[in-house]
Amino acid sequence: MSVFAVSKEVLMTVIQELGKTHELHGPRVDRASGQVFFERAGAAEDIALEAELPSMPPKELFFPQVDRLLKYRYDSAARSVELTRLGQERPKALIGLRPCDLAAIQCLDRFFLGQEYVDEVYRTHRRKSFIVTYTCNEPARQCFCVCFHTGPAAEEGFDLNVTRLASGYLLEAGSEQGRALAVGLGLRPATEEQRMEKERVVERSIALFPEKATGNKAWASRVMNRVTTGFVKPEVWEEIGKKCFECGGCSYVCPTCSCFNVEDACGAEGECERLRTWDSCSLESYTRMAGDHNPRKLVEDRRNKRFFCKLSYSQSKKYLRPGCVGCGRCVWVCPGDIGLPSVVEQVKS
Amino acid sequence: MKAEAKITIVDFPEVVNIDEIRDEAPEVKTFYLSFLDPRLEAGFRIRSGQFIMCTVFGAGEFAVSLPPSPERDRLHITVRAVGKVTHALHRLRPGDKLGVRGPFGNGFPFEEIKGKNVIYVAGGIGLIPLRSSIIHVLQHREAFGRIILLYGARTSRDLLYREDIREWQKTPGFETFVAIDRAESGWDGEVGYVNTLIGKANVPVENTAAFVCGPPVMFNGVIAELLKRGMSEDDIVSTLERNMKCGYGKCQHCAIGRTLVCTDGPVYTYRQIKTLGEGI
Ligand SMILES: Cc1cc2nc3c(=O)[nH]c(=O)nc-3n(C[C@H](O)[C@H](O)[C@H](O)COP(=O)(O)OP(=O)(O)OC[C@H]3O[C@@H](n4cnc5c(N)ncnc54)[C@H](O)[C@@H]3O)c2cc1C
Ligand code: SF4
Ligand code: SF4
Repeated sequence: MSVFAVSKEVLMTVIQELGKTHELHGPRVDRASGQVFFERAGAAEDIALEAELPSMPPKELFFPQVDRLLKYRYDSAARSVELTRLGQERPKALIGLRPCDLAAIQCLDRFFLGQEYVDEVYRTHRRKSFIVTYTCNEPARQCFCVCFHTGPAAEEGFDLNVTRLASGYLLEAGSEQGRALAVGLGLRPATEEQRMEKERVVERSIALFPEKATGNKAWASRVMNRVTTGFVKPEVWEEIGKKCFECGGCSYVCPTCSCFNVEDACGAEGECERLRTWDSCSLESYTRMAGDHNPRKLVEDRRNKRFFCKLSYSQSKKYLRPGCVGCGRCVWVCPGDIGLPSVVEQVKS
Repeated sequence: MKAEAKITIVDFPEVVNIDEIRDEAPEVKTFYLSFLDPRLEAGFRIRSGQFIMCTVFGAGEFAVSLPPSPERDRLHITVRAVGKVTHALHRLRPGDKLGVRGPFGNGFPFEEIKGKNVIYVAGGIGLIPLRSSIIHVLQHREAFGRIILLYGARTSRDLLYREDIREWQKTPGFETFVAIDRAESGWDGEVGYVNTLIGKANVPVENTAAFVCGPPVMFNGVIAELLKRGMSEDDIVSTLERNMKCGYGKCQHCAIGRTLVCTDGPVYTYRQIKTLGEGI
């Protein structure tokens, strides 16, 4: 891997250079609420690299909450129809992506671009993107990436990875386009000492995680075995189900959740758009069929499904890794206190 | 023989014309379709048991089985009006257009069951997804043993494909047992639930494949009866129905345990159904 050492100013130059060919997206701290959003940035300086994990994952960029797939108008007099594909390629640079969110994008890539069919809609959004990850110097309270081996430093899948050192930054190129950019700008190769310093940054970061997360290597895998084989008592799902408010929040904030609904929205003039919108398996309507038949009517069955998706090896086959990346957002958002770690604990006990 | 490239219309619907509409039963109509694009009209191939996603312009899209035989048959769908999109479909007339994506799904076994007896057990509109396989098997009559159709519906008016059934009966050795739930004047066929026909037909269980499709109550009754008679769980095949939004394995609405009905199914053996890890 080509590794470079840069000052803050040079790092800004790298981002500015990317901004010439890509839309820039990165973390922004909202002054009023203190919340962090991963958003379109006007300029390199607007990106708050060191801000904590954004409250919403960046999946929106490749899997928009509301995506317009196609439009048509049915001419009922001529009885003809013209369909037009919507959605266009926009090169995007994601700056300051945290390692867990990168792992989640890899899950989405494997899910949408692998399998039997390629999802062209996702591919169009994803194509021509450039990913700059940022090593987490310290975990936030809800983080448990170490349990799922996604952080606190990204190991692969980025174009460039940035690590803050005592002075300046270490820049690792993880792809040919990342290397080309760095070489093109004539960046200075890092010294052995600077590379070693990054290792120490990562070690220190890992040491800051609570013992619970780092002490027991089998924390998640033991539960994954049980969830995969169905070796979980129905009472446990019932308990978990009782706590769910059926708000769907967990799915919306989860960087790997990608279920969607499709509907045709039509205006008064008969012009219609086919929309793909985020959906959640926690909602009763998710599996409901005509005649009010619902094979997954009970909330515990629906919760069971979510955690099967996140914690079973069957689902992992599609992502080539577990479906949870340990970002902890569902812990933040869930009003019922059944974020993923607490479910792992309940299944265990 | 040169293998033809398989056409799958994945995410952007292709337009078809409704050539003809037939009333099949109350609330059930059959729509005969042809692609506007001649390349598709000539090259669109299906397997029995597959389905398409059908767009009713201005209303939305829904999943629907393909009743035509893969060989020598007209493209058509048979639809019961149950909700928003299917009612909008029923309001259309010949000459109106629809959108089609697919074909999706695995389909019924055909080569694998050659040499066996084949039993079809259908309840109500459960005959729709079985029609394709029935015709295909009859088109190759000599390759199979006994071929038996057990079909039940609520009333005589609810029986689908009545003309077809009369046509099929001309094939030598095609055994049909049709029943309605309650006696009606003028009805001289069987009366009772479909599972009672299993005994009447004295169905074989050795070297036999059974294709079962219908509402859950009927399904459970039939399966219990077949198993009781010694049929293997691997020889009982059914097709499952789930809410579906994409048809190609991405929206995840049709997940049952670890399987996706759209790409892994919709056809499963009873043994598979039992071990999906979630109720049906
Ligand atoms: C593989 C497969 C094959 C099918 N084959 C046939 C067929 O040959 N003939 C036929 O009449 N029907 C068939 N169905 C059922 C048909 O798809 C539903 O009746 C239809 O989607 C109802 O849509 P609606 O908008 O009219 O009903 P609403 O109740 O208004 O539906 C709302 C939404 O729920 C979903 N939905 C509701 N019921 C079902 C259901 N039973 N299955 C899947 N999604 C549902 C639809 O996506 C729909 O957009 C099949 C379903 C599947 C999955
Ligand atoms: S399940 Fe929760 S912790 Fe895991 S990736 Fe999703 S939001 Fe993050
Ligand atoms: S966030 Fe919590 S309460 Fe809301 S749907 Fe998810 S599990 Fe249920």
